[in-house]
Amino acid sequence: MKKTGYLYEESFLLHETSSWHPEVPERLKVIHQGIEKAGLLPDLVPIKAFRANMRWIETVHDKNYVDRFNDACISGVRVFDCPDNQMCGMTFEIAMLAVGGVLKAADMILKGGIDNAFCAVRPPGHHAERSNAMGFCYFNNVAIAARYFQIQGGMKRVAIIDFDVHHGNGTQHIFDEDPTVFYYSIHQHPSFAYPGTGRDFEQGVGKGVGFTKNSPVLPGQGDDTYRLYLQRDLIPAMEQFKPEMIIVSTGFDAHMDDDMSDIRLTTECFSWIMTHITALAEKHTGGRLLSVLEGGYALQRLGELARNHVTILLNGGIDVH
Amino acid sequence: MFIKKSMASKVITIDPESGILTAREKMKAAKIRHLPVVDAEDRVVGIITDRDIRSAMPSIIFQDYDSREERDKLAKIKVKDVMTANPICVHPTHTIQDALLLVQSHRLGALPVVDDTGRLKGIIGVRDLLRAFVNVLGIGEPGTLLCILVEDKIGTMKRIVDAITEEGISFGSILVARYWEKGKRAVFPYLLTQNVSRVKKKLADLGFTLLDPLEWYIDQLPTDER
Repeated sequence: MKKTGYLYEESFLLHETSSWHPEVPERLKVIHQGIEKAGLLPDLVPIKAFRANMRWIETVHDKNYVDRFNDACISGVRVFDCPDNQMCGMTFEIAMLAVGGVLKAADMILKGGIDNAFCAVRPPGHHAERSNAMGFCYFNNVAIAARYFQIQGGMKRVAIIDFDVHHGNGTQHIFDEDPTVFYYSIHQHPSFAYPGTGRDFEQGVGKGVGFTKNSPVLPGQGDDTYRLYLQRDLIPAMEQFKPEMIIVSTGFDAHMDDDMSDIRLTTECFSWIMTHITALAEKHTGGRLLSVLEGGYALQRLGELARNHVTILLNGGIDVH
Repeated sequence: MFIKKSMASKVITIDPESGILTAREKMKAAKIRHLPVVDAEDRVVGIITDRDIRSAMPSIIFQDYDSREERDKLAKIKVKDVMTANPICVHPTHTIQDALLLVQSHRLGALPVVDDTGRLKGIIGVRDLLRAFVNVLGIGEPGTLLCILVEDKIGTMKRIVDAITEEGISFGSILVARYWEKGKRAVFPYLLTQNVSRVKKKLADLGFTLLDPLEWYIDQLPTDER
């Protein structure tokens, strides 16, 4: 059994979008309920979020962007940078708190208090670029965590594995030229899905060539294709890169019941994916792994998906469901 | 839509009396495949392509064309001997559509752009045309593509655009594909949002058919060329 940290704060519910927006506080509530009802809370190490130090945000985002976001938020702007990014007066603070929580989890992993962690945060992060908000995201939580592991933990090679059904354009672009952070993403093919990036020929830039890998999946595909691509692309890439830490951008929106995409994964396939990612951590990082929530909008499925996800983390890669 | 906006206006040219080896070096250095051939007055008298040069050279399988003897022979071949004389040219106020149709019907790689007196003003190549189309497709910006199958009748586009606009979504582009079923059109709105599930439901409720992504197409080979 692993020591698994769990980050969830009621404050994360305070970031409001709008009644018809898919990225709603309800998502986090059903995730938490799924974990709670399964009786997993006593096994988990609670992680307390704190407001992130600006120093860490600025390892990834331009200072101007952070100021612009804060100013917009407090001056009552409710749509920031693009119509997808709806916010309320609390959004900036909640986004700071989400980053802080993720960094706290990272810190606990570094200090050995926990082996791995699941961070149920809002707003999500993988679409957020260095200097603009996009696709419901404001701060790139996983990118900041990667820098934290490098600076605070002295790690030379950090891998980010992103199985949200949308390509994490922000994360990819932030580390495009960086051979010390490997970005892998599996997602619906960009000609058929937001954000229109993540084609298989996008493999990094300059010194970073070979440290970005994308597996675009055609609409209508499901479990078999995901299993095939992850075995073909992800596992050999990790063998070669040998990460010292694995960060996971966890999105549940490739589920067949999620109408944000045309990918049809079963609940069991999500367990298969996480079991294999956890096995990669066992092999390369001594079991250390940080999972951070991105998308996932099928409220009726998020509870079971989160329960299975956390169970696999607790069991160090063995799926009991 | 005018060519002058999309063409390269700093053009590398060559003299008709130059040797083809000089032309080859110029192309290699600038990584280009077409050189307009101009007279002393900068009037276009021809165009030479990397293929024209390759065709003039002996096959590298049998002979070493870099040997002294071969080089001397090749050095004597002039640009004017292998170029296409009086090539099809366009005017800066021709449009992108003109250039596309010319490139398609004459199987060209590039068109010299000349003014009323026949003097060279620029060159427009297939890649410039492609860049223009990447731009109008809007795929440089993040968004989501939908495909709606509609009856080919007046007012349909208005209903689609209205439904999407009411959701507060902006458009990256809208493409309409022809040659679908008889009397049908495929409309491809490229929406600058991640948030399409609601608008998809709304369009379905309005009676529109949203096509399965695997059945989308914007082009197919004409039947007689298959």
